[in-house]
Amino acid sequence: MKPDGKLKLVSELLDLPLLDSEGKYCGIVDDVELVGGAGKDLELKALLVGPGAYAGRLPRLAMWLAEKIAGNRITRVPIDRIRSISGSVQLDRPGDELGLHRSEKAAGKWIPRRGAL
Amino acid sequence: MRRVWFLLALAACSKGPQADLQYIKQARSAGAEWALVNEQASAGKLTATYVGSMHQWLRQQIQTASSGLTEPDARYAIEMQALLSQPDDAAPEELRAHVAKLKQIEDSLESA
Amino acid sequence: MNPLELTLGIMTAVGGFVDISELVFAAKAGSAFGYALIWVFAFSTIGIIVFSEMSGRVAAVAKQPVFNLMRHRLGLKLGLVTLAASIISNLITCAAEIGGVALVLNYLTGWPYLLMAVAMTALLIASIWVLPFKWIERAYGLLGLFMITFVVALVAIHPPWDKIAGGFIPQVPHGLSTKELLTFGYFMVAIVSAVMFPYEVYFYSSGGIEEEWGPKDIMTNRMTAILGMGLGSLLAIAILSNSAQLFSGINVDPEIPGSAALEAAIPFGKWGLVLALLGMFFAIAGAAVETCMANAYSIAQFFGWMWGRHKKPWEAPRFTMTWIVLFLAALGIVLTGVDVMMLVEFAVLFSILVLPLTYLPLLLLSGDKDYMREYVNGPVAKGLGWLYFAIITAAALAALPLFFLTSGGNG
Repeated sequence: MKPDGKLKLVSELLDLPLLDSEGKYCGIVDDVELVGGAGKDLELKALLVGPGAYAGRLPRLAMWLAEKIAGNRITRVPIDRIRSISGSVQLDRPGDELGLHRSEKAAGKWIPRRGAL
Repeated sequence: MRRVWFLLALAACSKGPQADLQYIKQARSAGAEWALVNEQASAGKLTATYVGSMHQWLRQQIQTASSGLTEPDARYAIEMQALLSQPDDAAPEELRAHVAKLKQIEDSLESA
Repeated sequence: MNPLELTLGIMTAVGGFVDISELVFAAKAGSAFGYALIWVFAFSTIGIIVFSEMSGRVAAVAKQPVFNLMRHRLGLKLGLVTLAASIISNLITCAAEIGGVALVLNYLTGWPYLLMAVAMTALLIASIWVLPFKWIERAYGLLGLFMITFVVALVAIHPPWDKIAGGFIPQVPHGLSTKELLTFGYFMVAIVSAVMFPYEVYFYSSGGIEEEWGPKDIMTNRMTAILGMGLGSLLAIAILSNSAQLFSGINVDPEIPGSAALEAAIPFGKWGLVLALLGMFFAIAGAAVETCMANAYSIAQFFGWMWGRHKKPWEAPRFTMTWIVLFLAALGIVLTGVDVMMLVEFAVLFSILVLPLTYLPLLLLSGDKDYMREYVNGPVAKGLGWLYFAIITAAALAALPLFFLTSGGNG
């Protein structure tokens, strides 16, 4: 499936895991950015990743809780960064370059790099 | 089905011997186990550490059961106190005598 | 199929089958109802085999863990509800396991229970940090084979084998009062829950990804699930049968895990006792690892984080922090002083309530040709899957009323 082909948005794209060009998990497709309008074709512009992207998909109370726990950051992944879509969305760049590993890196500062076999 | 609803209501708001039945069972079982532990210990089949731990936990079970009673002056409550007053290494027969009395009370409540 | 790997996998599943809930409920079931609940263990084991096989197959074919696929299938809202329910269920279960293993250490050493809980949590965290996934799984699983002591003990006490065999036939004992019948019903529900805990499926499927299973490993998955869990359930049935033979005639309803160890002490003395306690230690410790990791897997997979113990801890930092925090949270529950047996009751109760939420997505995923291609559920898996789903849904509906009516199985 190609990103510029026809997509069933809900069943085929939303909530798919994202894998970068190095095969690393870098989030889930939490929402999508569309352009267009009433009576016009909708065009997929970008994938939205991060707890801030839940806003249109969760009830208000649940969204408030999600923000308190995880913040409201959104990372935007332009559509032309997608290589293919199957059981996951494969990107054509490392997640770092797209700003997708920031939380992972922040957490990494707390983890000692020793002791594991 | 009516019996089930009745039991549900009973479980929710009863006091007295029927409500204490679960605690009587708990104390009876813990006492019986205590007797079994002492019997096996005297046959040299258990480590001293295990016996010490089991005594501690079984006493705690009986104490918890005793504390949960809604009728603290009932015959079964006195029997539980008598059980608790036994030394850790009490003779199994002595412990089983108290267990038998609790079992009698338990059976009569269940058949009521 | 590497025979050595397969054998090790099966043995690991055998040793890892029994946890604190199965131990406690097997012993209680035996003393309360003799051999009459053996069939429920056997029946539930078939259920966990069916769903474990499915989850392993999904991991091998879709090459994605269950929770990744579950979110995609169910969507964010229902997925979050499932995740939240699963986290709570697994956390309570993990706390019960930590409490259980601390109790066993107390029986072995005499050292204070709460101190043992802290020490054990530290040891579990250290073992997961240091060891790669395969070693974690193998160490606890294979050392859990000390539980075979209970099977040997059963043979040694010359039980009525015909009655044990008869226990495999579905039955409800005759002449039970209404209350006893309800208690029997509660035990049935509790055993189904204890055998089919959600964490087992999540851990098993994520383990398949950790070990890089592919379609070539379908048969390994099938045999590990069938033989490993099938043989593992014999350990639980041995505990039940020992209890029926040794405890039911003398007014003992085992209320604490230490009682089960008497089953090996009575025929074999101190050596039997120590081996039984060691078996309980490794089996319950392994279950503590599985419940915590299952939770960490679920969270990481749901949010698309890097995950897995095939990576070094610093290569998947959020996943690492998650399992450490979960262990500490479970320890925190234990340190409140709540009775371990109460934790076991709540773990079993909460798990049965979330079982339908756990297994429905798995059933749908494994039956979906888009994900599974030619490895989609066949008629046997489909039929058994939906049958067991109906049963666990019925059990989930009956669980709370039965719990209250029977005072948690105490009559």
